[in-house]
Order: sequence, then C-alpha cells, then structure tokens
Amino acid sequence: MPNNISLIEKILYSVEKPGRYVGGEHNQIVKDWDSVDLRWCLIFPDIYDLGQANLGLAILYQILNAEESVLAERSFAPWVDMEIELRRHQLPLFSLESKQSLRDFDILGFTLPYESIYTNVLNILDLAGIKVRSEERAENDPLVLGGGQACYNPEPMAEFFDAFVIGEGEEVVLEISQVYKDGKKTGKNKSELLLNLAKIPGVYIPSLYDVSYNPDGTIAMFWPKHLDAPEKITKRIVAVLPPHPTKFLVPNVEIIHDRMSVEIMRGCTRGCRFCHAGMVNRPVRQRSVDDIIPVIEDALDSTGFDEVGLLSLSSSDHTQILDLTRQVHEHFHDCSLAFSLPSLRIESFSLDLMDELKDLKPGGGFTLAPEAATERMRAVINKPLEDEEFYQTITRIFENGWRSIKLYYMIGLPTETMVDVEAILQAAIKIKQVGRQVIGKGVKIHLGVATLIPKPHTPFQWLPVERPEQIQEKLDYLKVGARKAGIKISYNLPDSTLLEAWLSRGDRKLGSVIQTAWENGAKFDAWGERENLQIWRNAFSAHQLDPDFYAYRERDLTETLPWDHINIGVTRRFLQRDYEWSLMGRTRPDCRNVCFSCGILDVFGDQRPAEAIGYWGCP
Amino acid sequence: MNDTPIRIRVRYSKVGNLRFVGHLDTQRLFERALRRANLPLRYTQGFNKRIRLNLASALPLGFTSSAEVLDFWLDEALDSREIFQKLQEALPAEIRIIDLNPVSNSLPSLQASVLSSDYRIWLPRNLRPEDFQQKLDQLLQAPEILVSRRNKSVDYKPLIFESDLQTDSDSKLVWNLRLSSTPEGNARPDDILNLLEINPAVCLIERVGLNFITEVE
Repeated sequence: MPNNISLIEKILYSVEKPGRYVGGEHNQIVKDWDSVDLRWCLIFPDIYDLGQANLGLAILYQILNAEESVLAERSFAPWVDMEIELRRHQLPLFSLESKQSLRDFDILGFTLPYESIYTNVLNILDLAGIKVRSEERAENDPLVLGGGQACYNPEPMAEFFDAFVIGEGEEVVLEISQVYKDGKKTGKNKSELLLNLAKIPGVYIPSLYDVSYNPDGTIAMFWPKHLDAPEKITKRIVAVLPPHPTKFLVPNVEIIHDRMSVEIMRGCTRGCRFCHAGMVNRPVRQRSVDDIIPVIEDALDSTGFDEVGLLSLSSSDHTQILDLTRQVHEHFHDCSLAFSLPSLRIESFSLDLMDELKDLKPGGGFTLAPEAATERMRAVINKPLEDEEFYQTITRIFENGWRSIKLYYMIGLPTETMVDVEAILQAAIKIKQVGRQVIGKGVKIHLGVATLIPKPHTPFQWLPVERPEQIQEKLDYLKVGARKAGIKISYNLPDSTLLEAWLSRGDRKLGSVIQTAWENGAKFDAWGERENLQIWRNAFSAHQLDPDFYAYRERDLTETLPWDHINIGVTRRFLQRDYEWSLMGRTRPDCRNVCFSCGILDVFGDQRPAEAIGYWGCP
Repeated sequence: MNDTPIRIRVRYSKVGNLRFVGHLDTQRLFERALRRANLPLRYTQGFNKRIRLNLASALPLGFTSSAEVLDFWLDEALDSREIFQKLQEALPAEIRIIDLNPVSNSLPSLQASVLSSDYRIWLPRNLRPEDFQQKLDQLLQAPEILVSRRNKSVDYKPLIFESDLQTDSDSKLVWNLRLSSTPEGNARPDDILNLLEINPAVCLIERVGLNFITEVE
C-alpha cells in the first residue's frame, strides 16, 4: 500500500467531482517526461466536464503525441472549490497525465472556442504561477499559445499570449514544435524564437505589431514592427482533412457531450450572413463515406461509447449524406447505438435522413433553426426558405411521429421590425396547431430565442448590437405570447450577451479591461454573466473606456477594424458587398453551384487537391 | 442467441486515481469496458437498451477497494478465462479483476444480498495509539453514535459490527471495521472518522471485504 498520500490527493478528497482532475482515462497517453525534447500542455480553459469532449483537443492530442520526441498532456480550468484548495496549499495547477506543474511545460496551448472563457485563461496562468501579461513573463516561462474559433479576432487577448495560431491547427502545431526544438538546441532566446515562429504561415505574434488610435477611439494604424512579421496573417487550412482520430479518451466521470464525435465535413457553403463559423471555416472539405464508416468502427472498438455525433456545420449538405446514413444503419443497427446528426436544413430531404437514423435509436425532439420567421427577414440573413416548404417539413416531421420540436430564432437582426418578431410567435402557434391536427393531441414546442451579435469576418461585422431596451421589448412580447399559447421559450437576457459582444468585437485596448475584470473576480463568465457584469463595467471605466463603443456603435465601412490584419481568405470587399445585398433583401445562393469569388480560392486555390483525394465544395 | 442469459460474477479491485470515480461513473466505466471487450453482452429489454450489469454496493468516493463485486450477463457461454482476459484488457490499469465466474441465475441480486463491508483504515502517523484507542472506546461505548446525514440523524451504534485496532509492520496504526451495508442501514467509515475528529482525507481507506447473505460463489 502506498504510504505517501500526496498533497494533490489529499486536496481531491475535499472537492466536488475529483475525477475531473486525475486523468487516467482509457486511451490516455502518458509518456516518460524525460524521454522527449518538447512538452506541450493542451489547455481547455473551462472545466473538464465542458472541455474534454472537444474534438479539436482530441485531434491535436493525437497529432502531437504521435511524434516520438514530443509529449502532449491536458489541463482544464479548476472549478471554484478546487481553485480555493490549490491556492490555500500553494499548489501550482497541474496536468492530468503526469501531474506536472503547467510552469514546467515548454508550450501551453490554449484553445479559445468562445470569448466567455478569456478570464479563465488569466486565472489558469496565475494558478500556474505564470505572469498573465506576455511582456512580464521570464525567459524560461513556457510559450503561451492560443488557437481556436475565437482567435480570428485575437486582439482583446493579444497582451496575454506570446503567439496565436490563426486557423486550423493540424499541421502548424508540428511546425511550431520543430521551430521550438531547433531554437532550444541552438540556445535561442525567447525573442529570437518568436521571430522564427512569426515566419510560420498562420502564426501571429502580437508583440511584433503596434497600433495607434484616432481621437474617436477607432484604429488609425496597425503595423508590424519587424521585417519578419507579415503585414497580414493568413489563416492556415488543411487542404485535405487528415485521418480522423479514433482513440478518443473515454472519461471516467460524466461530462457534457459524453459521446464520440466524428467530423464528417468542415466548412459550409450556404453563406448565412450572421454565421461566423460559415465564413471563417471555408472552404468546404468533406470526408467520404468510405472514410467515415471505418473511423466509427475503429473508434467504437477502442472506446466503448454508445453514442456518436456526426459533426458538420450543415449535415444535409454532405454530398453523400443519404448514403452515409444508410451505411451507418447497415453497419451499426444491431449495436444499440445512438447517432445524432445536428444542423439539418429545413427541407424534406432532412427528413429522409432522420428516418434512416431514427431506426438506430429513437431520439428526443426534432430541432430546426429557421433563425427568422418572415421570408423577407430570412432573405436579409441569407437563410432563404419559403413558408410553404417550412410548413410542409413541419407536417412531415409530425407525420413521422415526432411530438416535440425545438425552433431556434434570432432577434436584433438588421432591418427587423415588430412584424418580424410577431411572426416568430405566430409561427410557433401555427406549428402547434399543425401538430395537433396531424397527431391528434398536443405537441411540445420549444422556442429558443437568441440575440444577434454581429461577429467579426461576417457581412454583419459593421452592424451594432441592438440596444437592450429594444431587445427587452421584443423578448417581453415573445415571453408573454409564448406563455399564453403554452409554448416553452428560452432566451438570453440583453445583459448576458453584452460580454460576448464586447470581447468578440473588441480591440487591443480591451486587454487592460480583461485583466482588471479578472483581478476583481471575474471568471467563468458564462456561468455568472449577470453577476460579473458590474465587475466588467467597472473595469471599462477604470480604463476610461466606453463599453458601448464596442457593442452599440455602427462601424463605418471605411474604418480599420481590429481584426483587419487577420486574413480568413474571404475578402473584405466580398463581405461588404454581401452586407449591401443584405440590406436590399437580396440573397446569395449556395456557392457550390456558382462561385461568387469570396476570395478563398485566390488564397488557397493552389493547395486544392484533385477531387479523388479530397472534396472541396467550391465549383 | 441463448434465451437463458449467462450470469457472470466479477470480483475486482479499484485503486489509485480511480478511487475518485464514483458509483454511477464506475457503472458506466464497466459498460464501456464490456463493450470494448467485444463480448456477447445481454442488453436490457425496452425502449432504451442498456447492458445488463449490477454492482453489489456503492463504494464511497475516495476509497480504494480490493473486494468489489459485480454481475453482468452474456447471451452465450464463453470460457471464463477468455472473458477474464478480454475484460481485463479493456479495463483501466487501476481496476484489476481478481476472479470471474459464471453463477446461477437463481441467486438473489447482489444489492439484495450484501450485508456488510470490511474496511481497513491506515491512520495518520501523528496519531498516538493510546490516545486514539481511548477516544475510540469512548465512542463505541456510548449508548448512541449519532451521525448527521443530509439533515437527518442516524444512529451508527447498531451498524458497527466489528472494530479492531492494530499496528502494522511499519508501526502504522491500522483500524479494521466491519460496517452494515444494507439499504436499511449503510454506515460509512469516514463519518466515524469525523466523529473522532480525524480528517478522512489524511487516511487511506480501503474496502477489503464485502459480506453477503449467502456466500459468494
């Protein structure tokens, strides 16, 4: 029997869900610490329960650990009770695999999928005994690297990170590893290392750039301070989706999305104008059915999961989707597995797909995201759909036996009036009636209402967030009406979307605000958004900044936007034209059929593989 | 498919980090390991099919064990050594199968037949044996041993079956306890440690035996 109960284990006895902190999952990779040249810690700055299922993390974990001379371990944000214990015992935050202090790794790779975990990044660095600001860190501190969907506007976090990866990480993490190892061997110091990293396409070193502002607070100039730093940082893509990971870690404690995910397609050609993911993840690349089925088989064998999520931004757009669902049925229908196929478009074709999957294991409700309730509004956001087709689909859903439908809508859309908002309620009521007619008894309708936050790199990037008074008025109308009609409704209060608006649309000046907010107790902002909001407002005023400048200001088409130096492959000209079309109510059809020259082929066209090797959605 | 399922009884140990994996999570861990082992598993009938699997008794979070027991069912008979090997390979290193055997379907369910648990507690070094023995005697001789659980007071007096204090070869204090583990009365050793004003977190607690109404085959 072991006699030494280490301090970590002692602490674990007194925290909630200690299994979050111990690792040891099936398929975990633990390498000998001293046998490698380079040590990464991949960090998801939210609790284990929310981060462990992240597919990006699984992909990078496998890719890095496949290198003999590299190890990659994991760490997550400790929950509040664990943080108290760590601080009380002056224990630095550690990795799950070897329980090494984060400070002892070479590279800390943070994934930033959303903005509400920015303060957690600072907290994690602090818990590891590392200074939060890049410039204050010492020569032998780990390299602090960021990546993920939120990094397409890295500026608000620029002062805390040594480097960012813009775009897809599969290839660039290995290039970063190589440059780091070379630098270590030749005794390069950190500033030399950063200069070498800046030469890797897709790597952004914020400290190599400077920014000046106009008197009104907008950006006057943004420029590289060094010759080796590119003027614009073009995102990285992988031309062909690399082999999919199959040896997923199998959590020992229950987590959110406790299943395995298989990415069937990356990117989307639909061009919904509010959709950040649809703009930044171009071009569309998909895996063939012949690739996907063995991945599912292998992953099931190596994990024992009983649920599979087939991930993409728009499942019904996969060119072999019907074949895929049929083959999934054929191969797995006697294994008692549940399959989910999210992001189905509202068309009868989606129902054929659901029919195939339903046989495997009946799911809960049917989820649809019309986003807007009038044909006019749907044209504005470029998610066109005729009412007639919409109700035909709804009728078929009920005819196929579903009794519960969840509908996602947005409010605060450009040119929106109360007519458009009233239409949301009317649609929900009508769907309920249709359900009663078809099924003969009551059906469950659940309305999910979100507020538009115009995101960087989308055609709506110049728009303001709608004012809270107006949002509140629209929400009140929907709340009262839904209650009367016996329809369940969920929504975000205007306050709770503000933080996302500030941080996603912010500039480099927000670094100080984020730091002050964190110093005053803001963390886990997605959990305590309303509670933390006053801390954030105070932090803005402490730095003489106006939060409304970031949320409620319509940006001039000539303004230099904080993310203009990040090149996602889609041109600003394209986005602007799309914005103008939006205001005219003019739609832009699926660009698989006709190219609108968004710019992606100009940047990446030379990487495009032959069709047989990797499918791209571009014509 | 054989209509009569084959009931397999597994005794196993659970140590190391896996002591921080609770009862329901352990159940799921076994479900997944059984699937990975690629055995002809018997599923429950009905809408949501699940692997037929029964754990004898919940092991409190933070305790190791060398005496856990569970049953699962197969559709067809297989050589026990083969099942043992396949399942062991699919399990994390910190769960080791002690033995694995087919048992009669007519035996009562494990949960219904557990009577008591034997715990071994390695007490902290700074504890003086005579002080502890004195405190322990005082506690055990009291007319009632009240433990408050979720705003409810439970008398542990009738739930403590045996208590024995020893010194191991390393001159460490080892306390052996046999406690009731039935649905009507389920006593936890950490509750008793708290009564004795010893932080359970600084002890090592292991379940070393599970006792059943009928002897486990």
